Amino acid sequence: MVQQRAGESRRPSRGRQIAAGRESRYAYLTLLPVLLIMAAFSLYPIGYSVYLSVHKEVLTDPLNHPFVGFQNFNNALHSYYLISSLTSTLAFMAMAVPGVMVFGLLASLLLNEAFAGARILRVAILLPWAMPAVVSGIVWRWILNGDYGILNSLLFQFGIVHDYIPWLSQPVLARISLAVAHIWREGPLAAIFFLAGLQTISPDLYSAAAVDGAGRVAAFRRITVPLLRPTILIVLVYETIVAATTFDLVYVMTGGGPADATSLISWYAYAEVFKFLDLGTGAALAFLIAMALVGLILLYLRVLRSEEQH
Amino acid sequence: MSRAVWRQLGLWAATLVMLVFILGPILWMLNSSFQGESELLTRPSHVVPQQPTVANFSYIFTGAVPQGFDVRGTLRSRISQEAREIPAALENSAIIALTVAVLNVALGVLAAYTFARIRFRGRSLIFNFLLGSRLLPAIAVAIPYYAIVSALGLLDSYVGLILVYLTFSLPFTIWFLRDYIVSLPIDVEEAAQIDGCGRLQLLRRIVLPLAAPGLAAAGAFAFMASYNEFLFALLLTQTINSQTMPVILSSVATNPDASLALIATSVVLAMVPPLIFAIVFQRFLTRGLVAALGKG
Repeated sequence: MVQQRAGESRRPSRGRQIAAGRESRYAYLTLLPVLLIMAAFSLYPIGYSVYLSVHKEVLTDPLNHPFVGFQNFNNALHSYYLISSLTSTLAFMAMAVPGVMVFGLLASLLLNEAFAGARILRVAILLPWAMPAVVSGIVWRWILNGDYGILNSLLFQFGIVHDYIPWLSQPVLARISLAVAHIWREGPLAAIFFLAGLQTISPDLYSAAAVDGAGRVAAFRRITVPLLRPTILIVLVYETIVAATTFDLVYVMTGGGPADATSLISWYAYAEVFKFLDLGTGAALAFLIAMALVGLILLYLRVLRSEEQH
Repeated sequence: MSRAVWRQLGLWAATLVMLVFILGPILWMLNSSFQGESELLTRPSHVVPQQPTVANFSYIFTGAVPQGFDVRGTLRSRISQEAREIPAALENSAIIALTVAVLNVALGVLAAYTFARIRFRGRSLIFNFLLGSRLLPAIAVAIPYYAIVSALGLLDSYVGLILVYLTFSLPFTIWFLRDYIVSLPIDVEEAAQIDGCGRLQLLRRIVLPLAAPGLAAAGAFAFMASYNEFLFALLLTQTINSQTMPVILSSVATNPDASLALIATSVVLAMVPPLIFAIVFQRFLTRGLVAALGKG
């Protein structure tokens, strides 16, 4: 709609009305293809998920689909695997998210320096992020191989260990290994984001601080950290969501094992549907995960907004 | 030594550590792909290959079984048939990712321009709907997506995957390009409009040339996202007619009898397209990511 500005005649001229109509028609026509695709692939899936989640839908029992109310939600919530996969997910996130943040921050400080090394690093750092997560999982699985892995070989040759370590077949080590592979792929993205934040900080602030006799550490604490705060928050929430929904890495690196130590929540939801073939419980579970994530996003938007007011 | 020199040394040392962590895994994979199976199965590992060979690559492309596999009986089973599907998977991935990138930019810029420059009823509602639809996590829509693609008869086809990847990347592209177009000067467009230029003409003659870097970035993102996607490719494809690189890679790698040398070689081949893309589009990608964050 053409907004009326003060001082213009109250009734728009006929020519202008026709022009506005033509503009709207053009607008709707250009949006139509996109809207059709997006509506088919967002409204319908939501409706279908809701339907599935309140019906019995087990593929091994194809002709029996009674309405079961909240039974599926009940099953999902009271499953032993839910608790175990939530624990695994939280343990993984507790390493992966801080790891990505610290790696990203350190790398971005290096990238922000004016020296030749930063230019080399700037190209190299995009590479892990550019590759499929599946590749990252396979690469690290080979490096950490318990019998012939290069890491074991190097540690052994330098006399740091006396026996090859089974990185991926011991529960705690497997979680750490998964987190390292995750940091390798996700850290670079965080670094680029932080670099963007760093570059918005005016160099004048640092020269003024230097004139006042502040050292590097003081400048970092008093200028860099406070001004980078909004960026840190955004990246933190983004990376939390990415870590919480990790799937590809688990699939190729550990297959959820050993002893379900790396059976993260997305892996569990996948297994529920595609191994146990229980679509109803799978849909209920997916619903719960989606709600938790949307809640997280809304919380983050609020924090961000209150941050902007300060 | 002066403080400045120490500082330089410190920076270079840190850069070196970073580079080893980032590039080391990639280089070790490359190294492994030129070793024979029996050489990889040694302790300690050979950092410098004693008998470098291209046999793994020629097996994947020609089917010639690498030496050593037929000599050592124990290794016979350690050959991954799936690895022979790598070239076909590369082709599938390239076709799908390129089609998504092109369609995504074409449909995206049309919609983005409309959102950027035209006022119409429901504009912010439609825009928010598009962005909001991306809040659904992938695992939550997996079953319904499977149902839709199956109902359309598009399982195990390029078209099914292309449709799904379009829905993943279009909202981001539209939002990214809208901001890009809003930031362009409007004067030339207004002048051309007075001369009687229609919207499509404005878009083609004035906006497209100015927004070219934005289009390149959006296209590159769509390409990489589609090339790298795994979960939906796994669910929606069944045969090598449409299976993409990550799917074949995962089946090569999770086969318990897999040959380590062939896994390494498959991964090296899979890394080539995204590496070329990342290096060629480095400037656009970095700038695009930065812009995405600024408004996120």
